[in-house]
Amino acid sequence: MKRRSFLKGTLATSATAVAVNAGLLIPTTVLAEWNTKAFGSKTTDDALSSVFGSNSATESSDIKLKAPAIAENGAVTPITVDATAISGVESIAILGSKNPMPLVCEYTFAPAALGFVSTRIKLGQTMNVVAIVKADGKLLKAEQEVKVTIGGCGG
Amino acid sequence: MSIKIRMRGKSKSGVAEVKALIKHPMESGHRMDKKTGKPHPAKFIETVEISVNGTKAVDAQWSGFVSANPYVSVKIKANSGDEVAISVVDNTGAKGSSTLKLK
Repeated sequence: MKRRSFLKGTLATSATAVAVNAGLLIPTTVLAEWNTKAFGSKTTDDALSSVFGSNSATESSDIKLKAPAIAENGAVTPITVDATAISGVESIAILGSKNPMPLVCEYTFAPAALGFVSTRIKLGQTMNVVAIVKADGKLLKAEQEVKVTIGGCGG
Repeated sequence: MSIKIRMRGKSKSGVAEVKALIKHPMESGHRMDKKTGKPHPAKFIETVEISVNGTKAVDAQWSGFVSANPYVSVKIKANSGDEVAISVVDNTGAKGSSTLKLK
């Protein structure tokens, strides 16, 4: 009986912790330039609307999205987005469709840079990794499923 | 406390691939502390800026879902001898920067 109430108690605390956490996700003190709204968005579409002002991206084979088919450890998933075949790349965003907040990172390029990014991201479970490339004002997209055997978002 | 960054880069026919390895926990604020049942407070790099000879080349914004000890690689138009600089700021205001002369 004692054990049961103990378990109940801990469950309740963890539930409140989740609630508090959700509140914390929108930090109160942020640098002006950091896009709080986009990074706090819970769906891929919302995040894209906040970053690019639109969520309708066309599939493009010119974007080379390199991601592992199976990631043994979701906490370290190497992702490479190569959009050097496209001219006028302005920015690249990488999203994990089923992460609590899908937008992982967003890169803006000055004329001195090529449309290429390679980095490592966390994936909580098996999901699609989405790369969005903005070139000449248009949104292009590439998607690939990554199977995750160990989640990387804690919990 | 400054954030440590290691950088490598080599220019080949006008294009340099710059790689940076940043030492940072990248705590998303989602991971639970098993002992206390509370989440670990968020601590992650929010902005990354890479410049060549003082001109901004790449400007990035990150969330807490970039892996711990982040690795980032970009390609920029630069020749050997050019100076590449990277600077990062996290959500607690900690900063880090590093410069590199391209080979």
